[in-house]
Amino acid sequence: MRGLTREPPLLLALLGVVALVLAFIVYPQVQVVIAPGFDGYAAFLQGGTWVTPLRNSLEVVALSTTTAVLLGFVYAYAMVYTDMRWKPFFRLVGILPLLSPPFVVAAAYILLFGPRGIVTYGIFGQTPIIFGLMGIWAVQTIAFFPFAYQLIADVLSRSDARMEQAARNLGAGPWQVFRTVTLPLSRPGLGAAILTTAIYILEDFGNPQLIGGVFTVLPTQAYSLISGFGDFTGAAAVSTILLVLALGLYLAKLRLDGGRSFVTISGRASSMPRPPVPPGLSWACFAGCLALAGLILMVYGALVVSAFTIAFPTNVTFTTTNFQFVATGSNGDALRNTIVFGTVAAALSAVLALFAGWLVQRGDWPGRRALDFLLIMPAAIPGIFFGIGYLTAFNQTWLDWVDRGWIIVLSMIFWNIPVGYQAAVAGLRQIDRSLDEAATSLGASKLRGFRDVLFPVLAGSLRVGFVTTFVRAVTTLSVVIFLFTPPTTVATIRIYQLVNDLNWGGATAFTVADISLAIAALLVFALLARGRLALGMARG
Amino acid sequence: MASASPAVAPALSPAHLRVSHVTKRFAGVTAVDDVSFDVPKGSFATLLGPSGCGKTTTLRTIAGFYDPDEGDIELGGRRINDLPAHRRGTAMVFQDYALFPHMSVRDNVAYGLRLARVGRDERDRRVKDTLAFVGLTGLEDRWPNQLSGGQQQRVAVARALVIEPQVLLLDEPLSNLDAKLREQLRVELRVMQRRLGMTFVYVTHDQEEALSLSDWIAVMNAGRVEQAGTPWDIYYHPRTAFLADFVGAVNLVPASVIAIEGAAVTLGLGDRRITLRPTAPTPTAGSEVRLCVRPESLLLGAAGSVADGAVVLPGTVVRRSFLGDAMRYWVKVDDREWIVDQPDPGAAAALDGAVSLILRPERAHLIV
Repeated sequence: MRGLTREPPLLLALLGVVALVLAFIVYPQVQVVIAPGFDGYAAFLQGGTWVTPLRNSLEVVALSTTTAVLLGFVYAYAMVYTDMRWKPFFRLVGILPLLSPPFVVAAAYILLFGPRGIVTYGIFGQTPIIFGLMGIWAVQTIAFFPFAYQLIADVLSRSDARMEQAARNLGAGPWQVFRTVTLPLSRPGLGAAILTTAIYILEDFGNPQLIGGVFTVLPTQAYSLISGFGDFTGAAAVSTILLVLALGLYLAKLRLDGGRSFVTISGRASSMPRPPVPPGLSWACFAGCLALAGLILMVYGALVVSAFTIAFPTNVTFTTTNFQFVATGSNGDALRNTIVFGTVAAALSAVLALFAGWLVQRGDWPGRRALDFLLIMPAAIPGIFFGIGYLTAFNQTWLDWVDRGWIIVLSMIFWNIPVGYQAAVAGLRQIDRSLDEAATSLGASKLRGFRDVLFPVLAGSLRVGFVTTFVRAVTTLSVVIFLFTPPTTVATIRIYQLVNDLNWGGATAFTVADISLAIAALLVFALLARGRLALGMARG
Repeated sequence: MASASPAVAPALSPAHLRVSHVTKRFAGVTAVDDVSFDVPKGSFATLLGPSGCGKTTTLRTIAGFYDPDEGDIELGGRRINDLPAHRRGTAMVFQDYALFPHMSVRDNVAYGLRLARVGRDERDRRVKDTLAFVGLTGLEDRWPNQLSGGQQQRVAVARALVIEPQVLLLDEPLSNLDAKLREQLRVELRVMQRRLGMTFVYVTHDQEEALSLSDWIAVMNAGRVEQAGTPWDIYYHPRTAFLADFVGAVNLVPASVIAIEGAAVTLGLGDRRITLRPTAPTPTAGSEVRLCVRPESLLLGAAGSVADGAVVLPGTVVRRSFLGDAMRYWVKVDDREWIVDQPDPGAAAALDGAVSLILRPERAHLIV
């Protein structure tokens, strides 16, 4: 604390960060929670319209989480423990869903299995009713098992191979090692992975919105209350219920893993080799992964084929008109908005998160625990709730002078700040304090030391924060669905609108373009990281 | 054998760095407990102690990384408690070097001068001179991860020296190096400090390092300064059993003071009576003391040997261990084992069985 009063610029910077957090994380959320007022909540709760969506949400979370985690676990186990073939291929396929809006699975599902779907109508001549619980369950399982896979693989690969070697050395078989060593050691991590998957599924808006039909869950209920009835009070109350559930799951997760795991896109170093598993198991895992990768590829294959054909599946003549449609007029603007908003938001979010991470991790001022909590809290806030918060707080006439694009950018910055923040804190934990102190003892103030030493040294964390935030920003639908105006439309909004218009060619081409953006960002990241590796080797 | 210290005691110049009654607590645990000492200008001062004794905390408090809960720190006659760490002029050399990994050797060394807005020409000259001083000329464009541990440590020293700090703080700077290199850098550090006449405050847990480097040592234990003085004093005249034991191997034998006649003290070791002329302090008759003798101060002879004016104790060799430069014997006298180091073990056959333990009266020290 005395350090702060001795360095007024540092104090000012800290106050600035606190002010930003209060204005853009706390204030909008509080606005939503208090919007209905006491009477509003009483009337709302008596109205009972929330009972069905709540029940549906819980049902969907229970079902989809179970299946997504089971499939994700198979994939993760196979990737981490077996020596099956085609691992690089499976790894690539497993990353693909992280780079696309989750609701593309619903779109592909309609395309493949809908009333006029390729499989259902085209092959079997059926027009089944695919909407409702079963559809959501199937779609969310496919959409979120890759997330579960990433989280679980992260946990499993962090388990200490030496322990497993030691257990094998003492005479335990592969299954005994897994049951008596690996599983007990990674139980908290696995629990946290399951809860994180459950949060993703609970907060999912796009999939249930596209194929839920009359089967409403909390996020879709909140959306339809506003867009259909203009009922802000009801929507605020519904999304508050959603928030309470998500926060509950999140706090349980924090208890398990201390806020460590987060699906970030980063290079992971290979660890010590693990004891081999029986070849039969490897082959079984290979078959399982092949089937799961096939599911993912079917989804994206359908999208790509549809994007490049005139009227999939009735007329599969190759065409690029869909992409011309995407690149021109208001669609082109939306694509440009996506790139601009995503880049600006990712850059600002990553830098702010790094600075905030440094203030919290290296500071000794009172209240930093609270700031730490506020900076990771958006990870638990459902996108739909966050969007309603920004709508309530900043869609005000006195703010008309502000370009509406900034509200979208701000929402992307602060909704994603936990990504960069956690990357920064993880990075800072790797760097001994003596590095900061060396700068200080040579005459650098704390701020100067941050600028000269930690900022460059933490470039890796900054890149992780930037890329992950960019990808999340260009693939989110729920946060921006309340915030866009015609001139500030973004790709995900247009995709959603085109799907609703049944313009499949346009929707899929747009999706392919949007995913390409994310992939491009990732490639640039990989290139930069490789550049750093090469530089590191040049340095010996 | 003279018992006066051959090492030059620090000149009686006024304290350059003064630590007075400093106390530092962490969450209720007292890490540094009312520590006071003065370091004269241009001297090499060492804080020595086991891990967790508070020596590093003391150093970091001087650097300004910690605020003391009580007490004052003065540098050059000025109280610096309220000065932020980066304005204190207390450059520090860290155990893990803490070189900036994204800067070349030259940029690492120039960093402090840049902060001080030293002009380009002077900066280049000083960086060049300092790198030459630490023997790193030609490595200016290397990155830290291209250097060996010893080179990295030299860069760390150069980076701190170049800004000409009022006092250089060194936190176990040699402990990550292998033994041979450690010894070499130890000599170099001492030479550098002498040539620059700069005040060094050095922290280590290695008593040999402390003895060989320092003008002055403060041995710390449990947050307090147990004893401060010249290396000579610390080694031969420890005031407490902890100190005697921490700084080198030692025989600590409980004894009772039977009689005192001038400098001669008659001690009872069990039923045995021996008369010694121990170095200070003077005990009181009838008190219980501990006889403190370094293993290399003892001699072994064949059983039944007599030595003029020396105390001879009959004993039996129970164990021995070849140390290279000495042979260490464990000799049982009555029911107590003594450690004896005999130099140059190759010069004579190793002893075994019954022997005589020879103790010169003035080679003993008493802990009262």
